[in-house]
Amino acid sequence: MKKLFLLYLAVVGNAAWADEINYEDHIKPIFREHCLRCHGDDKQKADLNLQNYASTMQGGSGGEAVTPGRSSQSLLFDSITDPDDDSRMPPNKPPIPQEHIDMIQKWIDTGSRESSSSKSMVEARDTSFQPAADAGQKPEYPAMPEELPVCETPELIRPLPVLSMDTSPWAPLLAFACQEHVKLVNSRTGDELGSLHFPEGIPHVLRFSRDGAVLLAAGGKPVEAGKVVLFDVKTGRRLAEVGDEVDAVLAADLSPDQSLVALGGTGGIAKVYSSADGSLKYKIEKHTDWVTTVAFSPDGKTLATGDRAGGIHLWDAASGRIRLSLSEHSAAVKALDWRSDSKFLASAGEDGRIVWWDTADGWPAINKTNAHPPKRVPGTYGTIPNGVLSLNYDAKGNLVSTGRDNKVRVWDSKGKQIKKFELEQGIPISAAFAFDGVKIFAGDSLGRTHHWDL
Amino acid sequence: MIRKLTLSILTLAIWMSQAAGEEKAPGFRGDIMPILFRAGCNAGACHGAAKGKDGFMLSLFGYDAKGDYYRIVNEMVGRRINYAVPEQSLLLTKATGKVPHTGGELFTEDSEYYKTIYLWIAAGTPDDEGKVPEPVGLELSPDSFVFEGVKKDGNLKVTALYDDGSRRDVTSLALFHSNNKSVISIDEHGKMKSTGAGDSHVFARFNRFTIGAEVIVLPPAEGFTWNNPETHNYIDEIVFDRLKKLRIVPSELSDDETFLRRVTLDLGARPPTPEEFHSFVADESPDKRAKKIDELLADDAFADLWTAIWSEQLRIIGGNYAPVGTHIKAAETFNEWIRTQMRTSRPLNEFVAEMVTASGSNLRNGPANLYTMMVHAPRLDPKAFAADFSQVFLGIQIQCAECHNHPFDRWTMDDYYGFVSFFTGVSRKPGVEVREQRIFYDKKAESAKHLVDQRPMPAKALGTVEPVSQSGDPRRALAGWLTSPENTYFSKNLANRVWAQLLGRGVIDPVDDVRVSNPPVNGPLLDALSEHLVESKFDLRSLVREICNSRVYQLSCAPNTSNKLDTRQFSRAYLRRLRADVLLDTIVSVSGEGKNFQHYAPGMRAIDIYPRTNGSTGGDHHGDMFFETFGRSDRSTISSTETSSDPTLSQTLHLTVGDTIMQRLDANGMIRKIVEKSETPEAALEEMFVLALCRKPTTGEQEGLVELIGNATRDVEVFEDIFWSLLNSTEFAFNH
Repeated sequence: MKKLFLLYLAVVGNAAWADEINYEDHIKPIFREHCLRCHGDDKQKADLNLQNYASTMQGGSGGEAVTPGRSSQSLLFDSITDPDDDSRMPPNKPPIPQEHIDMIQKWIDTGSRESSSSKSMVEARDTSFQPAADAGQKPEYPAMPEELPVCETPELIRPLPVLSMDTSPWAPLLAFACQEHVKLVNSRTGDELGSLHFPEGIPHVLRFSRDGAVLLAAGGKPVEAGKVVLFDVKTGRRLAEVGDEVDAVLAADLSPDQSLVALGGTGGIAKVYSSADGSLKYKIEKHTDWVTTVAFSPDGKTLATGDRAGGIHLWDAASGRIRLSLSEHSAAVKALDWRSDSKFLASAGEDGRIVWWDTADGWPAINKTNAHPPKRVPGTYGTIPNGVLSLNYDAKGNLVSTGRDNKVRVWDSKGKQIKKFELEQGIPISAAFAFDGVKIFAGDSLGRTHHWDL
Repeated sequence: MIRKLTLSILTLAIWMSQAAGEEKAPGFRGDIMPILFRAGCNAGACHGAAKGKDGFMLSLFGYDAKGDYYRIVNEMVGRRINYAVPEQSLLLTKATGKVPHTGGELFTEDSEYYKTIYLWIAAGTPDDEGKVPEPVGLELSPDSFVFEGVKKDGNLKVTALYDDGSRRDVTSLALFHSNNKSVISIDEHGKMKSTGAGDSHVFARFNRFTIGAEVIVLPPAEGFTWNNPETHNYIDEIVFDRLKKLRIVPSELSDDETFLRRVTLDLGARPPTPEEFHSFVADESPDKRAKKIDELLADDAFADLWTAIWSEQLRIIGGNYAPVGTHIKAAETFNEWIRTQMRTSRPLNEFVAEMVTASGSNLRNGPANLYTMMVHAPRLDPKAFAADFSQVFLGIQIQCAECHNHPFDRWTMDDYYGFVSFFTGVSRKPGVEVREQRIFYDKKAESAKHLVDQRPMPAKALGTVEPVSQSGDPRRALAGWLTSPENTYFSKNLANRVWAQLLGRGVIDPVDDVRVSNPPVNGPLLDALSEHLVESKFDLRSLVREICNSRVYQLSCAPNTSNKLDTRQFSRAYLRRLRADVLLDTIVSVSGEGKNFQHYAPGMRAIDIYPRTNGSTGGDHHGDMFFETFGRSDRSTISSTETSSDPTLSQTLHLTVGDTIMQRLDANGMIRKIVEKSETPEAALEEMFVLALCRKPTTGEQEGLVELIGNATRDVEVFEDIFWSLLNSTEFAFNH
């Protein structure tokens, strides 16, 4: 019996090993077929020799050819998938078969193993979440609107798409964007609590402060004017107005200590202001396209900014000096949100990816492609947009995302999908967890809000 | 603000109630796309550029309605469209110039365009995919105009026809342009004004269609008297009919000397010999011109000229470059195969069809070289090949449709990718010997994929709906369609190229830019030539004979007051600089001194030379310096404009002091012989004139020259100088 059990283990074990793609068994035969004539022991064009593992990992005159764990950053993978006939390897030939490309990609992404017995070159990341001892102190009396000023809301032909929403971290309070105002709702009862006037135009961003006492609203009128406004949640009073932009503000956040306001938009520049006197602290001019999202880490140390070309950068929040550049997205970054322990940053983009970044070293610990896969009716061709449009963390490290597949999805801290909800009509473009995590809310392109119990 | 919003709702209410009586809310494809087109939003310089403008991209001229809908409505929710307050939508504030817009103000808030877009947004931006009829064509009314003189007005009305049989006046949504503003101008509303005498076309564009109307602006009637020229055949009837309509009087018939030189250069690629001159002038028979034409057509020189023309078109270069398949042996096989077809009067449709369907060794099967010579590359790129193929054999440039429906023609992306699929399987492999490439059809090859949605587009002939049979090599079906008498694109292309070769200008010009917006200057003429070609079973010689026998071909180049400005209606012979190779052969012929070419045996004629250059065949190859100077095609592309007859300073210098003429004057003592055997200087002059210019000197010329010679009547150098000046005259370098 014992013997049998061991045998069983051996078989299963082998099968598991065989699944791991490695250089000797899987990759070298592909190289032999397509590459070794020019990049082998005989000839090393561009100083690249793919005939043995060590020299493969060493790379060639163009630098490292393989970045273990990241096919998207590997020159070798780039050059065999280049859409340009003149630049693609192997030269003057059709691309190598797709199943070989897939195998190489998987080999790199699983850590570029040498042989069936070697370990992955990529260390496993611990993405699990433990609340830190000092994680955001709950205020003694979480703010709820008490006596909001009367706000005339415009009569509209149809509602504005719910471009943004957020929930108070400590109270049953949901805020969402409407034309020229922000609506506040009791997230438990669904009662409308009132509205905050935003005559500046369309609120593109809504963010509660970490203590829930302040609501940041940012937006404006396209190609006319933009501004960030801080509201006192309890009274609805305007605490501060920051920025004087020539286009609507598309991205904004308030630092945890409420001293800094970051904003960005179509100018491609992110600006950080002092909330106390509205003075400009520093400018970030590294982005090459619209700044689409900005987020301060909950520990206040880091500012993350994302742009429409797929770039994400991390900055020292106090000084504005660059810390890291995170490249993985191949299309517009639509949302950035930090986990409450500041260890992980989640990003979402029009390329359909959600990436959980280990912010210690900028490593994409979880890289979910096709996070919102679109439905494809058989017989249709062409790219169906599968972008991920919004992200929001809850206090426990779960993430809610919305996408062009009309779905709202909930992910745990390991990147596993735990819930999904579908809208029959309209694209969900904003979402948030209730403060106690028992509900999620989503807003859609038709101007409706939805909620589900978790 | 609130008051303003209320106001807008009021306005909307009024518009809505107006609209209620008519029909439903505007739809995207039916109503909005035409406005984007008309306002120029999706033009190439604006958001229709490949990457769009300022982050907003539209498909060029709207070839991708689905994508445009996505980009306007859903790409940036809340920015380009504001459902809550439609007038705050960027789509409207930008177009009206209310906010900074690189494209400026395109329409105003009180325009129909604004109202339509507003109502569409207010209705929730409905997408009418599949619910609106598709436009299938355009109609212009009137479809032709004749203006009596300048500063006269006219109006164009454009009607779109839809697949459900309905019609709609789209004058306010169409774009207009005139092919020649010095004849007719047209504004954005389709209002025309005549600006100068002549003929031209005005065009309207809507959706993916372009349609033209002919415009004739007549010169004053006074002073115009039709001279009722004699007609030789239907060509004359058609051309003269057109000229009469345009109030242009054709020139007189050319004299015998001019005709002889013209037709010998055109058909024999050489000047007439003095013997031919004397016997032709002496011939009293009334049909001597027709007989001369027959004689020249029967000569191999005619076939050799057309071998050179095809060889140039098909880019034959002997590059000795095996990976590309341009070894000299392959080039020679191809060139000689063409020569055989021309000499044996192979019907042109069979000639082309054999190339289209050819497979096998490029060293042994001449026509298979079509697939290695026309586009020189290590492997066949189906797109590049299809583009060149259609330009050569149909005169149509379809490559625009690779990225968008052709803006000025009927070709769609479906046409393009279907056509490319004929060649996706054409493949090659190295043969048994290193110089060889074997052409074969790979039946497993996939069809070309449509750019917009990546859908495979099975092989389909241009302008047809159904793909050809998908079993096996589709090139057979392609050849069948291409060369069938029903395919008038093919027969018109060939007929037009032959006509241009003989008259110096195509009925459609340039000959390889056939499109709706470049119509023939005389439609019935091209039809008739094309029909002749088809009826003669694609016999090149038959068509050439017909053209050369026409009075139009034989007209003098001397203009009269009525036709001196005409450059396109064939009212007189147009001056044509001799092709580089014919000019060189002419110099050799009149000087009696041959020319050697690199990589060729001595004594070859220039017309028989194709470039032989070792190595890569990328870039230009002339084969000889003289060819380069005088604009012979460098065979770097298949374009008809590669052959140039533009004058340059280096041409003049080359002829005056270069070695081509200078070395030949005294090389073989020919002038010495003429001087020695002539009894008088007049006789010597006459012989030299006949030799060089195919005519006797005029009395004035003769008297002047005799006076110049004075008593140096036996000085050979003086006569060499005179001969030099004859060879440097424009009369010598031109066919007139």
